[in-house]
Amino acid sequence: MSAQPPRRRLDDCDLRELASRLRAGRLWLDFGATSTRLASDVPALAEHLRQVYAQFPLLDDPGWADHHVRILRPRGLRRWLRPQAEFECDLQRPFEPFPADTALPLFEWGSNWLIGKRLANLLLLHAGVVERDGLALILPAVPGSGKSTLTAALSLRGWRLLSDEFGAFCPERRRFIAMLKPVALKNDSIDLIRAFEPQAPIGPLFPKTRKGTVAHLGADREAVDRRHEWVRPGAVVMPRWVGDSPLSLTPQPAHLVFGSLAFNAFNYQDNGERGFDAASYLATQCRGWRLEYSRLDDALAALERLWEEVREARAVKAAAESPA
Amino acid sequence: MTWPWLQALGRPELVRGWSLAQWQEATRQLRRLRLLARLAEALEAAGLNPSVPEPAARLLLAERQTSRYRRRVVSWAATRIARTLQDLGAPLVLLKGSAYLAQELPIAAGRLPSDLDILVPRDALQRAQTMLVAEGWQEPDLDEHDRRYYHDWSHEVPPMQHPMHPVELDLHHNILPPLGPVTIDMPPLLDDLHACSWPGWSVLAPVDQVLHSAAHLFFDSEPLERVRDLVDLDGLIRHFAASDPGFFTTLQQRAQALGLMEPLLLAGHFCSRWLDTPLDADFRQRLQRKDFSLGAQRALFARVLAPAALDRPRPRAQRAAAAVVLWRYHLRRMPLRLLVPHLWHKLNKARVDPTPR
Repeated sequence: MSAQPPRRRLDDCDLRELASRLRAGRLWLDFGATSTRLASDVPALAEHLRQVYAQFPLLDDPGWADHHVRILRPRGLRRWLRPQAEFECDLQRPFEPFPADTALPLFEWGSNWLIGKRLANLLLLHAGVVERDGLALILPAVPGSGKSTLTAALSLRGWRLLSDEFGAFCPERRRFIAMLKPVALKNDSIDLIRAFEPQAPIGPLFPKTRKGTVAHLGADREAVDRRHEWVRPGAVVMPRWVGDSPLSLTPQPAHLVFGSLAFNAFNYQDNGERGFDAASYLATQCRGWRLEYSRLDDALAALERLWEEVREARAVKAAAESPA
Repeated sequence: MTWPWLQALGRPELVRGWSLAQWQEATRQLRRLRLLARLAEALEAAGLNPSVPEPAARLLLAERQTSRYRRRVVSWAATRIARTLQDLGAPLVLLKGSAYLAQELPIAAGRLPSDLDILVPRDALQRAQTMLVAEGWQEPDLDEHDRRYYHDWSHEVPPMQHPMHPVELDLHHNILPPLGPVTIDMPPLLDDLHACSWPGWSVLAPVDQVLHSAAHLFFDSEPLERVRDLVDLDGLIRHFAASDPGFFTTLQQRAQALGLMEPLLLAGHFCSRWLDTPLDADFRQRLQRKDFSLGAQRALFARVLAPAALDRPRPRAQRAAAAVVLWRYHLRRMPLRLLVPHLWHKLNKARVDPTPR
């Protein structure tokens, strides 16, 4: 076998090269379930991308991207006076411009918008997903429940991150795949995660967005390198952060698990029967719990204990199903 | 010849030789022009899915799922609206895309409808609106300008929404706006309604469907890159002409009577040029007649309708032509003293904010 050349990552790329790739529209980001080719002439963006996509491989023209995005500075006076950045995809500019120094949040939110609208080939659950022992822990939740924070914390304690936002499930394979974007942390959760793990690779702070202050936690090397691995569903836990509450982990019946998956999904309706079959498969194959917590450490310890149970139940089931 | 991805909508076997780069171009162009699901359905119907490379196959499947969902949503809403309006005592007419769905036309496959266009006679409009509101359809919050715009200058009431139906309802009383270059006298059209498969609904006569589509494209829309409408016109003409040998004669007579010859000739020109739409000898001959004004319009619309190349700024000539067409459209529709404040108002409207709620 010939020696593979060491793979270059965004982190290994000097800023000047990254900026020139961006200007030429030659930056490909492969998130696992989908991919984007990015072009931009916004000066700060190269550095910001390098921070939050540090471990992503630097790809040379793979010949395909699902989305082709340009983040551009408008022409004219606007270029110099309170500069702005515009999001363009295939000649369409669906959004209002952002201030140029918040080009990264514009790229992230704009990309998520495209993903949510365009990828009905997968059932996209509104859920964080992490993997351990070959099984996916699915964390569906409504916005504001602390899903991203919990997903971030898990990913910093040995669980492999697939996504903090899009649980990408393939109905035919019955497996999850990563939609590996940086975890978007908002306001208090930024300091919370910093305190939880001082080494956490958190990118620049963006104050004064519509969502308040936003910062992005980059995916680690293992999560990036394994982002194309399909993962079997393991368990569903619906998290909810409740200030000062004691930890509780309550088993949920399958019909409530179903509701938490289907009715929060981005494209459950688009998928019709296919979506129903996928969500009901998940709800009947995975056991579900509701988790209420106020301290991240407690929640993680509880999920560790729970996971042993899930893993054993899976092993028993697999043994029963496999032909001797 | 024109774009290969446009040709492939009617002749899906053309995709057999495509490279990955051609698939990339095709998916990007067709998706932004809202035509990708049509290709998906055409490939599936022709049994050609195995010849689609994996990354393109994913996007085709995604768009097909979304298209089928949008079609379900529209037909659900229409079924329920027919019940709401069953005592209206006037015909209920489906227009445009929803009419194509209800007739199960070949061009129903792969549509991505976002609104439901319906029409009732003008004297029943107010009552229909009241009945719909009583059933949960909500009128938008409009400022004074927009309210007057719809009331005085439009052929429809402000688009309505329903908390349980993810579709916008456009209730019309005419197929064209009252201030346009041509105004339509509706009774003759309402005397020639045809049945369709959705209970309670009718559709316009085939020739009127074609003329409405053509007039809408060339008189009443912002036509930048609207090849989707040409694909509709091509599909309508192919389908209706196949079952009626006198179709083109009736079509031209009707266009003459309604004053819609100009958009029909433009439609015929672009359909036959870009989509190889088969036309009869007489109509082809009519297209070849010298006509200075029509020639100028063809040149203008050729620039405006043609999809621009990706990854580069939109060509200056196209932007200029689009501006001319838009001004012409606006000027033909309302006098300058109304137009200037109207455009100023439109200009100040905001786009979407991508920040999640």
